[in-house]
Amino acid sequence: MSVPFIVLGFFAMLVMMLIGLPIAIAMAAVGVIGGISAYGVPFLDSIAPVVWGVQNDNLLTCIPLFILLGELLLRSGIADRMYGALSAWLGRLPGGLLHTNIGSCAMFAATSGSSVATAATVGTVALPSLQARGYSMRSSLGSLAAGGTLGILIPPSVNMIVYGSLTNNSIGKLFIAGIIPGLLLTGSFMLYIAIAALWSKESMREAEVPLAERIRLLRNLVPPAVVFGIVMGSLYFGIATATESAALGVLAALFFVWRSGRLDWSLLRNCFISSGRIAGMILLIMTAAFILNLTISLTGVAENMTKWVVGLGLSQTALLLTLIVFYLVLGMFMDVLSMQVATIPITYPIAMALGIDPIWYGIFIVLMCELGMITPPVGMNLFVVHGIRPDNGGIQDAIWGALPYAAIMLLFTLLLMAAPSIVTWLPLHM
Amino acid sequence: MSTASSNELPRVSEAASREPEKSGAVASKHKEGIESVLALLFGVIFLGLSVVVSVETLARKLFNFSIQGADELGGYALALGSTLAFSLAVMGRAHIRVDVFHERFPKRLKAALNLVAIVSLAGFAIFICWLAYRVLLDTFEYGSTAPTPWGTPLALPQSLWLVGLIAFALVATGYAVQAIRLFLNGSTDRLLVDFSPKSAKEELKEELEDLAVRHGGETS
Amino acid sequence: SAEDTLKIRVIGQPLATGLVQANKERPFFENFRTATGLAIEMDYKPIDTLGIKDTEELRVLKSGLFEMASLRFPQNSRDEPALLGFDLVGLSPDYATGRKVADAYLPIADARLQKQFRVKLLGVFPFGPQILFCNQPIKQLADVKGLKVRTYDQNLAKFIESVGGTPVPISFADTYQSLSLGVVDCAISGASSANSSGWPEVSTHQLPIGFQLAINGYVISLKTWEKLTPEQQAKLTEAVAGLTNDIWAYSETLFADAVKCNAGKDPCTTGKKFNLVDVPVSDADRALLKEAVAKISLPSWAEVCDKADPNCVASWKSSVGQILGIQ
Ligand code: NA
Ligand code: NA
Repeated sequence: MSVPFIVLGFFAMLVMMLIGLPIAIAMAAVGVIGGISAYGVPFLDSIAPVVWGVQNDNLLTCIPLFILLGELLLRSGIADRMYGALSAWLGRLPGGLLHTNIGSCAMFAATSGSSVATAATVGTVALPSLQARGYSMRSSLGSLAAGGTLGILIPPSVNMIVYGSLTNNSIGKLFIAGIIPGLLLTGSFMLYIAIAALWSKESMREAEVPLAERIRLLRNLVPPAVVFGIVMGSLYFGIATATESAALGVLAALFFVWRSGRLDWSLLRNCFISSGRIAGMILLIMTAAFILNLTISLTGVAENMTKWVVGLGLSQTALLLTLIVFYLVLGMFMDVLSMQVATIPITYPIAMALGIDPIWYGIFIVLMCELGMITPPVGMNLFVVHGIRPDNGGIQDAIWGALPYAAIMLLFTLLLMAAPSIVTWLPLHM
Repeated sequence: MSTASSNELPRVSEAASREPEKSGAVASKHKEGIESVLALLFGVIFLGLSVVVSVETLARKLFNFSIQGADELGGYALALGSTLAFSLAVMGRAHIRVDVFHERFPKRLKAALNLVAIVSLAGFAIFICWLAYRVLLDTFEYGSTAPTPWGTPLALPQSLWLVGLIAFALVATGYAVQAIRLFLNGSTDRLLVDFSPKSAKEELKEELEDLAVRHGGETS
Repeated sequence: SAEDTLKIRVIGQPLATGLVQANKERPFFENFRTATGLAIEMDYKPIDTLGIKDTEELRVLKSGLFEMASLRFPQNSRDEPALLGFDLVGLSPDYATGRKVADAYLPIADARLQKQFRVKLLGVFPFGPQILFCNQPIKQLADVKGLKVRTYDQNLAKFIESVGGTPVPISFADTYQSLSLGVVDCAISGASSANSSGWPEVSTHQLPIGFQLAINGYVISLKTWEKLTPEQQAKLTEAVAGLTNDIWAYSETLFADAVKCNAGKDPCTTGKKFNLVDVPVSDADRALLKEAVAKISLPSWAEVCDKADPNCVASWKSSVGQILGIQ
């Protein structure tokens, strides 16, 4: 298969995506048309078992389950109450409610697999009060957009499931590997907020909430904490596989919804419709991705790229720096899920050939996705927080507000390169 | 979950979606019914699966007992559940489309692209149906049986899978036919309202409404 | 000339299957042309790089997209249960028996595959005996009574049940952790793969009795086969026979070495040394496993296989059954 042919295919896909055809269609069309023109009708016949193979894969079952789990906690108001409790605890820090934004995002991330859901949930709860109390819209939007991206670094994470299933890596290990980097990145965000607040001398702080009240509010943190404990605990102690831990989490969330007195058909209907839509969107892209993947691997383009890159004699560091630039640029224009499924079949073998740890590389990819969510012009989380803002400012506020966090993420990626054990230590000690 | 970069609200969409055409009102009633049924099935499948899988996990840990096959069931649940989810995503306009350039195009081009998008989605749905049909034919021919403790005849889950995919194809084709009719009638505006990529704004509007409901319901 | 070169696309074993794939299978296909002098270019792709599930191999072959495959028998028994006839639980306690079974059954499985899937079975090979690891003292096979045992397929699960154990289906990747946390007490797998995955770190005893030999095989589509001249066919058959013979011998060496490594004995050249207690295999153990063939493995297989092909078990009995005295 010739190189121009492959380049043509990739551009055709990009164009189809950018003129607004469904992402899944763009990927499947290039996969099917490319496959048939190169291998004829047999290609068509062999897609059929591949499609059944994807849609019958018990590993991917955890995608709808984790989405359902997040929806249950969100629509029952458990997430809203969590924000209230955290603001009582974190509001005194310099930077005030901005810390609550990050903290709430991190906590909600621990029960939700998606960044958009995290930013949207915490954003809808937080922005009205941030505005009422006179916080700068720019820093408010920035903290929410960036905090939201923690949703895919702190487990559970749809993007880690996708990575694991595309590369045959243990999803449990990926989840566990995300915990320490997730906490550290949360800490880095908060540190930045505190420093920026002290620096600008117009430090926002919230009035102190009496200790008794704060302690009373702690009970609102119980449901998300218990759900996270069940999901991660069962994974960490090897009691459950990723799908099993998701199932346990769903039942735990359902229990708390019932306890909150909101369990009725209208709530469940909303949860089911909403999780069905999101899961359908992701799973159709996954199906298309596997069709495209078959074409890509048959053409041998991944192997050739790997040989070529390995032939360059790059060091791991040089390769990773190149990949950071590559993903930074791609992430500006592409939706991160599509970016992930379209590039992993190519970049993963290269990274493995240079001896990079597969779990570490998974976290690296997730960080690149997080970055893509807050870089303009196409940054999902920017759009989300911009959409929720109660005033009429422009999108540039969200973009500028999130910029420092993008820089922090890049620095953080460099830190992980310098000290890879931040990622690999915990999964090794499972 | 589509992407939108502009801070302008698609005003047409806001206004028009509040005054559906009369035929649209009937259609939307049907739509709601179908959506409810699909959602109910989706929910029953995954809540049911959660119960079975949790029982298996706990029984294995606590009582040394394994019902063996929860993972197999999970695979079948996904096969059927994902087909329902595909349909729900079509109805909710959730199949992700990038609208960063799309929304800057002239009206007629936008409308034409909307048409192409839904027709290609329907085409893909029919294509997958056909693939599933081929898989099922082979399964019947070989009498395939899952190599698992249950030894499930594969024709069973695969038939359900095909039924789900046919539903997906029907739903997508229904929308495609509607879009074609609008296009032929020259109803560009409606084609823009009903078939444009769902912008982040629209999605958030739904979220905010839901939030209002949650807070309104909070009596304490 | 390049015009005459035939290109054959091959689905290989997953990259993660270990030394047999890496040291024997992959080099064989990648160096096929120079090694055999045949004008055939083998385009070898490990299945896990293709995104195709291993249960779908036969169907993908039938589509014609690939011409050859290193067929994974247990997974593909879903579409062709006759494949299990090579490796019923308890059938081949040692390599010699396994080889006899394989030779006797090959023509029968070949005929069936040709008829059903239009592929020809060129040869079969073992990954090696699947043996028992436990994280508590056992003296004999019967001691798994009351213990939770990781199994990988349904026949093995039935056998474990029959001796009073609780079979737990856990993926290979999750077994290490499950052993270390006591989710299972015992686990069954190949000696060498257990060694490279560090199972001996989380277990104390090994019982090197082979429940199964993990038999897999090489197939080629008839369409491609018929394109070859008789001379090419003979050379290809010979080359694959050379490969499988090589793997039979290599697997036996690997097994002996890995068992030694696991027990911390010498020589240990292919793995890491651990200090497992090597439980001697007794006659009672062998008898127990042998008994299982007629009592459990054969009847449960017969149920599935005869449904797909009424002659399935009859032809097995006339070949394999004949030489092992199982009727
Ligand atoms: Na998360
Ligand atoms: Na971006």
